[in-house]
Amino acid sequence: MIVVVTASTGFAFLVGWELMTLVSAGLILMEGDSTERRHNVFIYLMMMHAGAAAVVASFFLFLPYSHSLDFASIRTASASMPAGIRTLIFLLAFVGFGTKAGIIPLHLWLPRAHPIAPSPVSALMSGVMLKTAVYGFVRFAFDFLGGGPSWSGYVVLLAGAVSGLLGVLYAIAEHDLKRLLAYHSVENIGIIYLGLGTSLVFLAHQAPVLAALALIAALLHTFNHALFKSLLFLGAGAISNATHTVDLEELGGLQRRMPVTGATFLIACCSIVGLPLFNGFISEWLTFRSFLAGSLLTNTKAQIVLPLMVGVLALIGGLAAACFVKVFGVAFLGRPHSKEAEHAEEAPLAMRAGMGLLAAACLWIGILPGFFLRPLASLAQVLVPGAGVPEETLSIARIIPWVAVFVLGVGGAAALLKHRRKMVRTWACGLPELSSRMQYTSTAFSKPIRFVFSTVYKPDRKVESLPADQPYFPATISYRSVRTTSYEKALYRPFVDLILSAAHQLRRMQTGNIQVYLLYIFLTLVSLLMFLRFQG
Amino acid sequence: MITAINFFQALIIILGAPLVRGIIAQFKARLQRRQGASIWRPYADLAKLFRKEDIVPPTASWVFRFAPIVLFGATVSVAAFVPVVQPSALLASRGDFFLLVYLLALGRFFLSLGALDGGSAFGGMGASREALVSSLAEAPFLLGLAAVAILAAHADIAGIVVWTLRQNVFNISGVHILAFISLAMVTVAETGRMPVDNPTTHLELTMIHEGMVLEYSGPSLALIEWASAVKLHAMLALLIALFDPWGMASSLSGLGIGAALLLYCAKAALFVIVLAVIESGMAKLRMYLVPDFLGVASALSALAVIFTVLAKR
Repeated sequence: MIVVVTASTGFAFLVGWELMTLVSAGLILMEGDSTERRHNVFIYLMMMHAGAAAVVASFFLFLPYSHSLDFASIRTASASMPAGIRTLIFLLAFVGFGTKAGIIPLHLWLPRAHPIAPSPVSALMSGVMLKTAVYGFVRFAFDFLGGGPSWSGYVVLLAGAVSGLLGVLYAIAEHDLKRLLAYHSVENIGIIYLGLGTSLVFLAHQAPVLAALALIAALLHTFNHALFKSLLFLGAGAISNATHTVDLEELGGLQRRMPVTGATFLIACCSIVGLPLFNGFISEWLTFRSFLAGSLLTNTKAQIVLPLMVGVLALIGGLAAACFVKVFGVAFLGRPHSKEAEHAEEAPLAMRAGMGLLAAACLWIGILPGFFLRPLASLAQVLVPGAGVPEETLSIARIIPWVAVFVLGVGGAAALLKHRRKMVRTWACGLPELSSRMQYTSTAFSKPIRFVFSTVYKPDRKVESLPADQPYFPATISYRSVRTTSYEKALYRPFVDLILSAAHQLRRMQTGNIQVYLLYIFLTLVSLLMFLRFQG
Repeated sequence: MITAINFFQALIIILGAPLVRGIIAQFKARLQRRQGASIWRPYADLAKLFRKEDIVPPTASWVFRFAPIVLFGATVSVAAFVPVVQPSALLASRGDFFLLVYLLALGRFFLSLGALDGGSAFGGMGASREALVSSLAEAPFLLGLAAVAILAAHADIAGIVVWTLRQNVFNISGVHILAFISLAMVTVAETGRMPVDNPTTHLELTMIHEGMVLEYSGPSLALIEWASAVKLHAMLALLIALFDPWGMASSLSGLGIGAALLLYCAKAALFVIVLAVIESGMAKLRMYLVPDFLGVASALSALAVIFTVLAKR
């Protein structure tokens, strides 16, 4: 991964890119091996290579003009390239890096690879590897191509909005903690792409300062996401270490058993939701501000679309808040739902220290963002020529510490009030005692939202009560609800069928006869020689 | 001087909040031909709760005790963003309305966690319903504010108020009508009033906010009740500041401030009476009609944003 971000030529970039994919595939398989795991890793590799092919193609399209894969020569060449080629390069880079970043509908591998990968690997993959894709896309769209027509910005905006909304909606319906976090990666990549798209729109309309603002928002969110998502995956790892499960329905009451893990996990939850005083808020605030600044443009379309994105991001944020209330509330609070959760042990010191460090970083950026915004602002000046430091980055850095003082001051004063405290069991409406079965589960918590958005999920519900002849006094009831929206069926199936039939056609060439293969080689040689002869 | 007045403004919102609740309750009682409790009753309730002991379930963690404190800190901070008697505020800055909305979200996030920590079914039920309502209310809230901000070409609440003060009272714009209706609907949903939530019920079929605070008692409950009163008052003050600020003091003279304060009280009373009439005259919406209610609010606020561009007013 380090090779990818430090590379200064296209060749080194591509080598690093491939290595990253292959090594991560190996890391996913580290914890055991089974047919299902292999199948999922195969899908991961398949999609990565399709994406890599697009990236390679977009690099090679530069070649006829730059005569070298050196980043500097690509940059100088791109200005003189015809618009059609630039469009093609942009689209190829968008699809190629989008596959790695996991934008919907190219996200298929994310919820498959994460649940089977070991947690530190998930943290690395989600926290850092997705970011290399964002880096690659920024490199292409901003550095090499220097922006493009405004429609390219709208394409990125649309991808961001769709990924953000659907990502968070799928996350809410999940109760496997790691798959839920994987869907949240999709959501956060969506937010990052919203910022990038806004920046491209501003660039197309010659507003470099605003473009820099949106770009800073996207880059800061990229960095923030690396922090809090790594922290969340490490927390999930600590949970699975202690209880041997990441199913939310089996957890509960962990805060009392694992106080440090719980506290750091809570900080990560607040950060990802974008609550003030935590780092996620700073980048979401900057994104909001850049949407609002869309009204300053003179183009009517941009004036309408960008401010409306405020609503989209607000909806994403609201749903994410609902989702993380569920995650933290069901996993860490209340009563344990299972024996394993009841006897969970706190994570070892090294793990706690790692999580504490990340949590401290989240709070630092959240309360004193100025320190991090300054280097980002100067970076944005490199990528967007002619942009000064956007005024908004300074104003947020000024006000947030005061808000922190105010909230903590008032809260501290309230905490100092004299409390007499008495431990009494929660009233159970006259029953002997409450049990953990009476608590809200993860599925129950998300029910209202799933009901409201049922057009997105298209659930397939099945309720069976036994015995069948006594509908009012059933002995057992089984309930099953499955989400049926499937990208495999609707989008990928026709594509896969096409490739398979093409492969069948190609198979006719493979006769197994060595003379025929020799003929192929001979024909290739002759045609190459003829090509050389007539070209020269 | 200006800081002192800004501080005074925030105190009006914080300390006047229980009174707003008292007046609503009194007026509702009159509409129902009851005598009703005194309008000072909420203060007495708070004082009583602060003297009592906190009852904590043995299964709860520190989150349960911490949640009311965060809620109170975040909600009270919101009061420092809203202009009352003159167009500035203690924590005013560019883009502060995003901060205001998300501070409310911070308080709500922790209150929902506290509810889940109680370990009973009611807490989870309340938190789950609150999650639905609040996640859908955030979009129209921010869009409505954004529409007004775009129209005024100012990204801070105080700047919007200054701009509005310069406009003609009788020259009402379409954006303002749309944004006002949507923000009023959001206020109803955010503060848990009828027809979204019934603040006086304890029936499990209908309660949202009350379900979440069911396990709280003593000083913790007092903090929660006070915070939700402050939230209601701050939202009312925000609506007044954005849509009806005329009469605010433009200079810092004692007379101007006093007159502005009186005028503010009159406007707030009018809002409160309208709210009480609506609450008495309407039945609570079914739980799954609330998304439609908020959908209408979202559509209106989106229209308001579009109007800022197409109609420019």
